[in-house]
Amino acid sequence: MSDPSSINGGSALAMVGKECIAIACDLRLGNQSLGLSNNFEKLFQFGDKTFLGLTGLATDVLTLSETFRFKNNLYELREERSIEPSTLANLVSSTLYEKRFGPYFVGPIVAGLNSKTNEPFICGFDSIGCIDFAKDFIVSGTASDQLYGMCESLYEPGLEPEDLFETISQALLNAVDRDALSGWGAVVYLVTKDKVTKRVLRTRQD
Amino acid sequence: MDIILGIKVEDGTIIATSKAATRGISVLKDSDDKTRALNARNLIAYTGESGDTVQFAEFIQANIQLYSMRENDIELSPKATASFVRNQLATSLRSRKPYQVNVLIAGYDTKTDTASLNWIDYLGTQVELPYGAHGYAAFYANSLLDKHYRKNMKIEEGLGLLKLCLKELETRMPIDFKGVYVKVVDKDGIRSIEGY
Amino acid sequence: MRTTVASEYSAEVHHVPIEHRFNPYSDNGGTVLGIAGEDFAVLAGDTRQVEGYSIHTRYQPKVFDVGDDIIMTANGFAADGVALIDRFRNQLKWYKFDHGGKKLNIKSAARYIQHLLYGKRFFPYYVHTIIAGLDEDGKGAVYSYDPVGSYEREQCRAGGAAASLIMPFLDNQVNFKNQYEPGTDGKKKKDLRYLKLEEVLELVRDAFSSATERHIYVGDGLELLIVTKEGVRTEYYPLKRD
Repeated sequence: MSDPSSINGGSALAMVGKECIAIACDLRLGNQSLGLSNNFEKLFQFGDKTFLGLTGLATDVLTLSETFRFKNNLYELREERSIEPSTLANLVSSTLYEKRFGPYFVGPIVAGLNSKTNEPFICGFDSIGCIDFAKDFIVSGTASDQLYGMCESLYEPGLEPEDLFETISQALLNAVDRDALSGWGAVVYLVTKDKVTKRVLRTRQD
Repeated sequence: MDIILGIKVEDGTIIATSKAATRGISVLKDSDDKTRALNARNLIAYTGESGDTVQFAEFIQANIQLYSMRENDIELSPKATASFVRNQLATSLRSRKPYQVNVLIAGYDTKTDTASLNWIDYLGTQVELPYGAHGYAAFYANSLLDKHYRKNMKIEEGLGLLKLCLKELETRMPIDFKGVYVKVVDKDGIRSIEGY
Repeated sequence: MRTTVASEYSAEVHHVPIEHRFNPYSDNGGTVLGIAGEDFAVLAGDTRQVEGYSIHTRYQPKVFDVGDDIIMTANGFAADGVALIDRFRNQLKWYKFDHGGKKLNIKSAARYIQHLLYGKRFFPYYVHTIIAGLDEDGKGAVYSYDPVGSYEREQCRAGGAAASLIMPFLDNQVNFKNQYEPGTDGKKKKDLRYLKLEEVLELVRDAFSSATERHIYVGDGLELLIVTKEGVRTEYYPLKRD
């Protein structure tokens, strides 16, 4: 258990719905078996309708969230517009690959709507930036096996926003309840073309 | 096996650090202060590899003070201080010889009138907590504090809670940690609390 | 006097003796799942058997009717699984000889399997064992074990390669975990109820087709054994073969 990507624990998940996306994560931060914080969000917003989820080694989650905040600020100043989800995905990919032989121990996911077309976009990465484009859902973190099982069975394409919220919540909740390193609270962001809703879920506290 | 413990209350943050300095089976000193004042309202408490600890804490102390000298006596906020320390540790982690130092930073922000406690380990994992500890002490202290901690406690109540934790640590810890130094950081600055 | 040396190897001195070690275990993949209903129990398993990246066969049943309306599976290292089930069958046969054909109830079978497993505490059967049947009241029963015999009666259990994928799904769909009555603001949990056989079969097929999609050790076919008061019956559904 000295595997860097499972010292702190934590999971994240993104799903595509009908003209909407949802992205969710748990709130636990631990040190091996000891829970330290139940308020450690792993999702970061970029622009109006784009989110980045970072699971894995907490120090790298913090370092990368700051790195991307910095890079995004420069991008917005230069381009005078907010970043597109697909652009952020390529930024994440190239940033991670820079550290090809000494990687950040993270499992990032990106989810958002295109600013012009409102087309949903989600993708995931390995720790050195290989992009996994998916049409349906992306999972990440210490409960990824459980999340794959939940998503593969609960998910269906073309869900309306409220149905997507229920699906992603149930998928996350039941997955993290079977992982000792994840849980301790959860949040879900639901992104539609004119609104972002944040919901904090009540979860088991063990 | 060093103990460093922090409790945030409504109007300040309490830090307790064990007095024993040990090496192998020997207690070398029973009056070791494992804290450094970074500025008027920021206190760092540390544990880890002996040698690294003091070197790192004093390096941080010097840089925080240098900042105030350069920037017209502006004092770095607790949030900024914690970020700076985290960044130093995170950078050090991927160097040839990383600092093996875990710290707690107690601070009081005069701009927002809020107390804070930042938990940072040698990896650069940083969290803002209501209460926290490093090492084995965390297992005993956290479970006690989970039960008894309340929001909006006064400093006196916080010190009462600390007494409870120390009593538990004295009974459960396998070696004598020679008592603790207790310090409080609040709007008036950093002060020691005697009698522990 | 020597003029030519054909090989120097004979003159080499080996300071470290060459060690050979036999690994008595392997992993044959596959996944299994048991669910108990009000008056029935099902035990299901995929029929793929693998070793490493090779598929040995696409049809090797691993859920068995072991007699007395008890169905059993031992998933993990296939040779140990077969050995365990053979031993249990044999002991059940002798039990009948010794007790005038008396039917072994599932509770006793469960306790006996614990002893079979714990008997090899220091060279374990490398399997996740599940048995299913009906209890003394005719209610569905599922018992599951760890490799050394620690066991528990449950409503449902997934075992084997894709257990981590299926188990949270079962928590959610069989025990209604994290489900609340609409409009109660999360105050009232959804009431537990027994699932009908048709509902259970649907869940099992969904669970396996999902596991097949994401796990390389699961696929090819799904064989289901169902115990009711009428006895044991078998069903087979194809799964994806990729």
